Amino acid sequence: MAAADSPSAALRRDLCSRGIRLAGKMRADVVDLLDAYVEQQGLDASASVAAVEGLPLAAVERWDEQTGTQRLLENLAAYRAFRALLAQMLEEQREQLGEADAGLGRALAAVLLQVSAFAYHLEELLRLESRGIPGEEEEEEDGPPPPPRLSLFEQKLRGLGVLRELAQWAVRSVRDLRQLAKPSPATGVAPGLAESP
Amino acid sequence: HMQYERVGADVTMKCGSMDWDAAVTWTANGTDIDESHLNGSYLILKNVDLSQSGQYSCYEGSSWHLKYQTYLRVGTPPKEPVLMCRSNNYPKGFYCSWHLPTPTYIPNSFNISVIHGTKDMVCEKDAIPKNRCHIRYLQLFSTVKYKVTLTVTNALGKNFTTLTFDEFAIVKPDPPESVVAKPVPNNPRRLEVSWQNPSSWPDPESFPLKFFLRYRPLILDQWQHVELSDGTSHTITDAYAGKEYIIQVAAKDNDIGTWSDWSVAVHATPWTEEPKHLTTEAQITETTSASTSSFMAPPTTKICDKGAVVGSGAMAVCWTAGLVMAAYSVLFI
Repeated sequence: MAAADSPSAALRRDLCSRGIRLAGKMRADVVDLLDAYVEQQGLDASASVAAVEGLPLAAVERWDEQTGTQRLLENLAAYRAFRALLAQMLEEQREQLGEADAGLGRALAAVLLQVSAFAYHLEELLRLESRGIPGEEEEEEDGPPPPPRLSLFEQKLRGLGVLRELAQWAVRSVRDLRQLAKPSPATGVAPGLAESP
Repeated sequence: HMQYERVGADVTMKCGSMDWDAAVTWTANGTDIDESHLNGSYLILKNVDLSQSGQYSCYEGSSWHLKYQTYLRVGTPPKEPVLMCRSNNYPKGFYCSWHLPTPTYIPNSFNISVIHGTKDMVCEKDAIPKNRCHIRYLQLFSTVKYKVTLTVTNALGKNFTTLTFDEFAIVKPDPPESVVAKPVPNNPRRLEVSWQNPSSWPDPESFPLKFFLRYRPLILDQWQHVELSDGTSHTITDAYAGKEYIIQVAAKDNDIGTWSDWSVAVHATPWTEEPKHLTTEAQITETTSASTSSFMAPPTTKICDKGAVVGSGAMAVCWTAGLVMAAYSVLFI
């Protein structure tokens, strides 16, 4: 690159690298959690899961054409949603299963912590770009509106859907951050992220 | 006129509109067929085999007018085809390729369908090879599985197979390219290995590969393995001195999918000190006592400390001393 690294470019790259490591660790833990969840909940790993309300889908078209800002905003929205969904799963876990699945509960809590940390990390990246951080939606109650009471089995299947999608997101996030970390050849700025005014 | 029949079938051919009791002659590829195969004017071929494929003609007895002709092709209906799908160019798309486990000996046509959730996708057939098609990903990071169904049809029957997979599972890069292994000068236990990303992998910067290197001396069966999370080179530091090594590298996307096949194998031998030439008798008698060890690449600490000597003259003295040691070793073997 012809231009020397600006401090903000170096910081962005550093944040992206750390984010990539966070997302990589998160993914590994989610995959382990998925295996444990499937086994302990007595599910079939390949079971089809009906659409879960409020579940952010990692699937995206024209991924390579997204701007850096789009990537950050979509990631942030997703992990905020996962934070709420995992908190709900944890609550259900405690209600339904008590001590029997304490290990599973601890693993869920650990992943929830990582999801929260990653969401915060994404906010840092957005702040770096002088992007306003979208407020979280105000709800009458904490988290998403309570869904109709599901049967235990339906709860388990929903949990499977949530964890599967989270595992996909973790991979996507690594890819998104790598794209963000790439300097644009013309300006030396990451593609899709405009210079701060 | 073409006629397809199964191996082992009994085939009856009518001589066109000729009556059963008409006098006819049948030929197979121009050669008269013995009357024992005839039932009236009908040709009966029992339990046909592949060698009976060919042109069959029926001639009216007296006039030798050609009354009927057909090309018989003996074959089999297709067995369940073997289908494989793989993405070696992630995230661009994937390809599927297929073949029949046993030949049918007659023409087959293949039809492939790809469904992603509820969406039909078009698999564009490659010109070469014929039994392959490719698909561009419209979506990435989807948990919805792909379902690929391949149907093979020929004149004697049809068969099909289905593969279901998700986007990540089929990612398998091609092996690394241009693997080179070189000795490291003055380092008898090192080999420097370098390679390149497979050229089919479209974006190694955004989708970096990690690598697995394996190496062993030719004389041993046990491989050593090294996994490398970045970079396209590695220095082996524990090679056996003087032994020829075989080295291979495999690649995998850093996050998803499976390892590639092993690269083409390369061979290399670590650096060894070159053999010395004899000089004068006087120099030989001046040297120290001989070593009784077998002739091996000399260790780095030896009589001549190359760092201490300067100039080609001094180097010649070093080499001479080394040669004399070798000469004495040979005497004592």
